[in-house]
Amino acid sequence: MSTDTPPVNEDKPRRLEQSNPDYDPNIVVEAQNLTKIYRDFWGRQKVRALKALDLEIKKGEVFGLLGPNGSGKSTTIKLLLGLLFPTSGRALVFGKDASEVSKNEMIGYLPEESYLYKFLTAEETLDFYGRLFDMPADVRKERVNSLIEKVGLTWAKRRQLKEYSKGMTRRIGLAQALINDPDLILLDEPTSGLDPLGTREMKDMILELREEGKTIVMCSHLLADVQDVCDRIAILYQGELKELGRVDSLLKVSDETQVLAKGLPPEAYDDIRAAITKHGGEVLGIDNPRTTLEDLFLDIVRESQERPGHRTSGANTASD
Amino acid sequence: MVVEQFPNFFDWIGPGLLLLCAIALSGTVLGIFLGYVVASFKHGPFEAFYVVAKVIAEAIPDFLGTSPRRIMAIARLSVKEAIRRRVILVTFGIFAAALLFGGWFMNAGSDNPDQIYVNFVLWGTQLLVLLMGMLISAFSLPEDIKNKTIYTIVTKPVRSTEIVIGRIMGFGILTTSLLALMALISFAFVWRGLSHDHRMVDSPSVAEFYEIDPETRLSDRGKRVSSNAIKTSETTFDSGHRHRVEIIEDVRRPEDKQPEDTSNIVSQSELSDGRISYQRAVVVPTAGHTHRVTVNGEGDTSTIDLGPATGYFRARVPIYAEQLMFYDREGAPNDRGIDVGREWTYRGYVDGGSRESPNSLAKADFLFENFDSRFIADQDILPLEMSLGVFRTYKGDIEKRVIGSIQFESVPDDPSSENRFQSDTIVFETNEFQIQTLPISRKQSGRLIAPDGSTVEIGTFDLFDDYARNKKLNLVLRCEDYNQYIGVARADVYFRATDDLYWANFFKGYLGIWCQMIIVIAMGVSFSTFLSAPITMLATLVTMIIGFFTPFIRTMTEEDVAGGGPIESLFRLVTQKNMEVTLETGIGTTLMEQTDNLLVGGLSTLTYLAPNFAQLNFSDFLTYGYSIDSQRLLVAMAITVAFCMGLSIVGYFCLKTREIAK
Repeated sequence: MSTDTPPVNEDKPRRLEQSNPDYDPNIVVEAQNLTKIYRDFWGRQKVRALKALDLEIKKGEVFGLLGPNGSGKSTTIKLLLGLLFPTSGRALVFGKDASEVSKNEMIGYLPEESYLYKFLTAEETLDFYGRLFDMPADVRKERVNSLIEKVGLTWAKRRQLKEYSKGMTRRIGLAQALINDPDLILLDEPTSGLDPLGTREMKDMILELREEGKTIVMCSHLLADVQDVCDRIAILYQGELKELGRVDSLLKVSDETQVLAKGLPPEAYDDIRAAITKHGGEVLGIDNPRTTLEDLFLDIVRESQERPGHRTSGANTASD
Repeated sequence: MVVEQFPNFFDWIGPGLLLLCAIALSGTVLGIFLGYVVASFKHGPFEAFYVVAKVIAEAIPDFLGTSPRRIMAIARLSVKEAIRRRVILVTFGIFAAALLFGGWFMNAGSDNPDQIYVNFVLWGTQLLVLLMGMLISAFSLPEDIKNKTIYTIVTKPVRSTEIVIGRIMGFGILTTSLLALMALISFAFVWRGLSHDHRMVDSPSVAEFYEIDPETRLSDRGKRVSSNAIKTSETTFDSGHRHRVEIIEDVRRPEDKQPEDTSNIVSQSELSDGRISYQRAVVVPTAGHTHRVTVNGEGDTSTIDLGPATGYFRARVPIYAEQLMFYDREGAPNDRGIDVGREWTYRGYVDGGSRESPNSLAKADFLFENFDSRFIADQDILPLEMSLGVFRTYKGDIEKRVIGSIQFESVPDDPSSENRFQSDTIVFETNEFQIQTLPISRKQSGRLIAPDGSTVEIGTFDLFDDYARNKKLNLVLRCEDYNQYIGVARADVYFRATDDLYWANFFKGYLGIWCQMIIVIAMGVSFSTFLSAPITMLATLVTMIIGFFTPFIRTMTEEDVAGGGPIESLFRLVTQKNMEVTLETGIGTTLMEQTDNLLVGGLSTLTYLAPNFAQLNFSDFLTYGYSIDSQRLLVAMAITVAFCMGLSIVGYFCLKTREIAK
């Protein structure tokens, strides 16, 4: 996948008109006491989806919203996008109210399932979304082509989306979210429906986008994915914020130590145990590390791609 | 043809704008109030105030920031959607099938085949495009919301105005192309269905024609059609009819105007008194048309060629009187004429007097206020066309036609000082149920009368230069048969100006359908911003029905109807009370009457909110071969623009204040 996507309009500074005196350019998303209550037709409370959420997401970070189904992750994202109106509290994006249309100039959104027009081809889809932004026709064409290439759908760009598999739809969904070279990208379950290869590519892309200085907000219940890419996370449960912080500090087990070594013979294990005991530590286990199933699978696929027709040696690696 | 309204755009636009402003103002007030009530339920009465103010404040930049580029992008999407979902294909398929099989049931030999053909294609097209417009517009936005595809649109910098206008425009472009295609095919269908050729049944030679006995009277049916026919023959039977071909003797004095068309002259001879006798071959009109005759050679050796059908595709330009006034036997003016007791009050009747009072002063005055020779391109003969109703108080000889007369009068600006012209009366036989044409010579013999009633001069005067010097002319119509009545409406008597181009008129007729279709699409899109697809369809359909029956609903709701409103009528029905019986006074009756007033008032209001499709429907003009005047078109276009604007604004606010996600 290539990463050389041209920016939308290089000579035009991308800045929204600001009328908010409290706007801090380093804070991209801000939720203040954000609450959402779903009501029925008669106005009776059905469910309290989000309870007084306070949150700040800084420029350039990958922020993960975590939680089980129904914890309010998608509701938060929809409130930030203006798809839902808050019952109370405020959601600010780039210092503007979430219901303001102009903020969308700098936002990219990949919905939970790629809700796209099935009767359009990939090319037409991106062209259509491109037309909704203020970009010259040649830039739009260039971006459409480079994004299709970036998400690896060049071979299927003239097929209608109704013929696409779930993974392909997800990719074109991501491409449409990036059509305006957004500064803030909201991803709702970005890896759902993707195979491990697709998942890895999606995660790589998220990291690439972070390298480019984009701010990314993603929600997911696939914890491993969140752990791999997110700088900070918020954990929601039944609409309440339960935990908020940097992933590395949250996951760090302060009273345990891990040593990774290579080429160590089994005889050295006793010396290591003795050294640990000497320093008053407790040996929890000395073992060969295991690769993850994801890594194993990706190795096999990669080898198959390089040497088609051969049985891969990935299985041997596992039995070693 | 029934024409009850004679709109003039510039007279209409003032009150029209006033009504629009009133509706806009009351709509705004009602909208703000409803918005406040709904917001109060959600956010409480104080917060609701800010919510409503915010929506209004955001509307202004939204309207100003509406981008044509995004509108076009959404319009393109709508077009692609409808095409790829095969809506167009299905509609077109039904249309094609209707034309294929409809042709079987069309009788080209009937009295007015062109009316049947044109009526069929117009109604078919109208029904199909309106239904299609309703379906695609009602389903598109709710489908978008249901499939959540709208999430990816509203999270782009797209304003609700752009979504609503883009949809209306997209479906508009699509259905316009389809309508244009249908119009072209319909035109070809009508043309092809009506075009036919005949040959002479025996031989094309004039020598084979039968002599007509000079004693044969016109009423001897089947023997003679033209009073001056001397020979006759017939054409072959094609397209369900045959024509009689007659050789007529046309005698003219040398100083008279000689026939312009010489191609149908069989022979020409000079009579002993110096007059010239032309023997001309003519095809007697049957089934609303005739054929052009070309004579090859001269005398008995000549042969006859028949050309294609002519007379079908007319776009008559009627010059109507600006005012119609009736006078009764005593000469008292009355704007309705005599009511002969029929339920339909379109026509007023002119009394023919009776044996006991033979000097009836009853008449109908048609006042032309803009009578100008340019209407008829300065020709010598003005065709006056009439479609009169006749009411007989006795049958007598049923074959005998009722006699009427016309007379022209000048209308001086100052009758107390100016002389006035009055022509001699022209007597005619009424031709019931059919349009009859009286060729009126521009030079009319008559009198010049002084203000005191004395005759100043007797002579022949010019209709335009003398009678209508100030562009005003009064046409007086009288019934000349005792105890019989002639019925007229304003549109029943008119001078016929030079015809319009038929294809241009056909296009104008379809413009009326286009206006209806665009309004239906705008309604569908606007309603679908707050209703689900089936409910949108129902709402659009109901509005369409109200629109089509606006005049009927207004007569029902705005005129006093015996028996009361719906609830009172039901009560009378159940209790078997006569419509005229007064109900007992009491709380029950008052309640019933007040509820009825509310219902009837509501229905009446609805007719002012729903588009009056009668104003946009020009089918009758095309069917009966009348030109559609530009004033009517301007009014229709203005109505369409006003509805599209209003519905777009309603759609914008509904979509803007709606939570897209659930």
